[in-house]
Amino acid sequence: MTNTAAAARKHAPIFLVAAFALLPLAGPVQAQKPGGSITVGQELEITGFDPLKVGVYDTSTFTAAAAIFDTLTTLDDKGEAAPKLAVSWTHSDDYMSWTFKLRQGVTFHDGTPFNAQAFKENFDRQKDPANKCRCAFYITNVKEVLAPDEHTIVYNLAAPSVNLPAVITIQSQNNAVHSPTAWKTKGDDYNRNPVGTGPYILKSWTAGDRMVLEKNPNYWDKGRPYLDRVILKPLPDAQSRFASLQSGEADIIWDDENDADNIMKAQKDPKLTVHSYKGSGAAVYAFNTKVAPFDDVRVRQALVMAVDRPKMSQAISNGLSRPATNPYGDGSWVKCKDDGALPFDVEKAKALIKDYGKPVEFKMLVTATPRGRMIGQVLQQFWKRAGANMEIEQVDQATIPPRAFMRQFQLVPWRIVDLADPDPQMYANFRSGSPLALANFTDPELDRLLDHSRVTADLGQRTEDYCAISRLINKEAIWFWTFQNTYYALSSAKLKGFPKIYNGVIDVSNTWLE
Amino acid sequence: MLNFVVRRLLAILPVLLAVSLLTFLIASLLPGDLAYVILGDQATPENVAALRRDMGLDQPLWWRYLSWLGHVLQGDLGRSFRTGQTVLQAVAERIPVSLELMLMAEFIGLLIGVPVAIACAARAGGAFDRFMTGSAFAMLSMPSFLVAILLIYLFAVELHWLPATGYVPFTEAPLANLRFFVLPALTLALAEWPGIMRVLRSDMIATLQEDYIALAKAKGLKPARILFVHALKPSSLTLVTVTGINIGRLLGGTLIVESIFALPGIGRLLVGAIYTRDLVILQGVVLLVACGFVIVNFIVDMLYAVLDPRIRHGHA
Repeated sequence: MTNTAAAARKHAPIFLVAAFALLPLAGPVQAQKPGGSITVGQELEITGFDPLKVGVYDTSTFTAAAAIFDTLTTLDDKGEAAPKLAVSWTHSDDYMSWTFKLRQGVTFHDGTPFNAQAFKENFDRQKDPANKCRCAFYITNVKEVLAPDEHTIVYNLAAPSVNLPAVITIQSQNNAVHSPTAWKTKGDDYNRNPVGTGPYILKSWTAGDRMVLEKNPNYWDKGRPYLDRVILKPLPDAQSRFASLQSGEADIIWDDENDADNIMKAQKDPKLTVHSYKGSGAAVYAFNTKVAPFDDVRVRQALVMAVDRPKMSQAISNGLSRPATNPYGDGSWVKCKDDGALPFDVEKAKALIKDYGKPVEFKMLVTATPRGRMIGQVLQQFWKRAGANMEIEQVDQATIPPRAFMRQFQLVPWRIVDLADPDPQMYANFRSGSPLALANFTDPELDRLLDHSRVTADLGQRTEDYCAISRLINKEAIWFWTFQNTYYALSSAKLKGFPKIYNGVIDVSNTWLE
Repeated sequence: MLNFVVRRLLAILPVLLAVSLLTFLIASLLPGDLAYVILGDQATPENVAALRRDMGLDQPLWWRYLSWLGHVLQGDLGRSFRTGQTVLQAVAERIPVSLELMLMAEFIGLLIGVPVAIACAARAGGAFDRFMTGSAFAMLSMPSFLVAILLIYLFAVELHWLPATGYVPFTEAPLANLRFFVLPALTLALAEWPGIMRVLRSDMIATLQEDYIALAKAKGLKPARILFVHALKPSSLTLVTVTGINIGRLLGGTLIVESIFALPGIGRLLVGAIYTRDLVILQGVVLLVACGFVIVNFIVDMLYAVLDPRIRHGHA
């Protein structure tokens, strides 16, 4: 007895270390200093938080939502689901049903208790057809959410999802949990007076100027957050946003590859830190394989082989853009020894087009923005060299989705966004019959692989499936990928604890100042 | 006088009507269907048709214009489909910022333009005059986005004298508020003073040829007294008009300057509305701004009539 107690005492520090390691989000050991205030320079002005009003959150809204709201789960540093408002989860054998145990003793900022009923009300409000929420599109795969007891919720799905806890981690319009009391009592005003369970509470919000968030003293994760105050400011101009960081008026700013000059300047500045995250997904293009000349695989292959990605990266982002050879990218857990990418080979491309025998002429949809035009012109030059004539059709950003849905295009730009699991997007983009299967291409083997990978738990097996899918798509050249998703934030070197920029979300709710 | 005011007011009505029609047409004829913008990646043909019906977008253009105008006349300019704010709320929140910016810009513009004009007119054709006329030309041809970035780089990044971006309300911290406005107002003023300077300079040169100036000189008055007391006042009539009309130009300038310096004014509201296709805000704000411009010009007309009786009697 005494011996055991002594042994336990002796081992106590080891257990403590183990317990700390299990804490969600615990990064490498660094002294987290409480107090202080930071200013975040954002690209866009936040319009609001009510899913029924705004429909879809943009990157700036994500940052605020990550501070004000919590989600059921979060992504840890390895990209795996970790507990947040849910403490544990289980699934049915067919992955059609997921049960989450909820954290107890959590309250919203307005004192409303967070429980299964509150969560279900959030979901039902989005799903209700009478509410016509744009956000409902993203939960079509969830049939219903049940609340069997106060601290348990059950997701019943329309199609299996093997990695659901990782997919619902983004602080989006669908996953942020709002106080039902707040939206019921505030009505139209709720949009700009959001109430969540998150580490920060909305203190004030001056339209177009600043949103002031203050530390939630009753946050369920004791000891967090560290900063007393977070100020979010829209700084729409890239140059003055960077100048504000340099002059110390902003502590962290959003940025992207288009602003390559400033990113490079920040890399050389010891007072600044460049945070970049190599996400999954890529900038992609889909051929309409039902219309000439793209009904012939030789033409598609020729065009893909004529694209010189390193040169294109130099032209559009000073070389910052990372070439993509598959739809998954370095940020994904899908790593392929052989993804079947076609090599860059202009001579081969010329030969294929010559073999095709007819003149290759087509139109490509391009967004009517300086960047869209630039990309269009670079591709045009590559393809001209291979003997194909591409005509740029400039259209408004908003016209691209409907044109794509109605298959009114020959070649259309698209994007695969950073997500913790490839299934939702791969299935939508390539399973025959899906409205997003833009290439109009049907292949029984492709369908079989997609169906198989979404009900398989073993990551090794799924990786094999997805690599086979990549080889098949690359060989048939129905879509092609130019550059992987890389997300940027620039900050003062004093800002610590900034996590990976999953899905491009700048989440400062865990940061502190040194 | 009353007759004159009524006549001018009646003349404004068709202008305002034309402004409302133009505003509506520009917003409606922008490429890209609003229903697609709102629906984004779920813009299936059925959803689009349903939303267009809900929003009345399936009605003919003339009908949509008349119903919008009807609401506007009742003081209802509509509600943003993105934020849920009404146009009046949004404008009321932002207008103080733009007004302060424009007033400060105009003030700095006058502060530079008037003394330079007087100094130039005093020695027309001299070295200083030629130098300043040349630099005025150079300033006019510098776009404000370039001037803004140069000023930020110099005063905020290098010297740390003034903030690069941001805003606090005057009521909260008056001094800090003014500090935030210095660079944006200076950016606008640097494009503003050349106009002021050239108008005043040429009027002043004309005035200085008048007989009574020669008399003043003959009487032995000090040159400074002649310039500031005898010549400045009669030369500033055109300046009043130009200053009024400049408000319109300044409003255009705020679109760029407010975006660069992150000031939450009307310009930013408008730019944001254009990017997000918030047509209700776009139409409403453009209409209000245009009305404001028309009214300012009306006031300038009135002021002119007060200053110069020949105008109100219709034989200027």
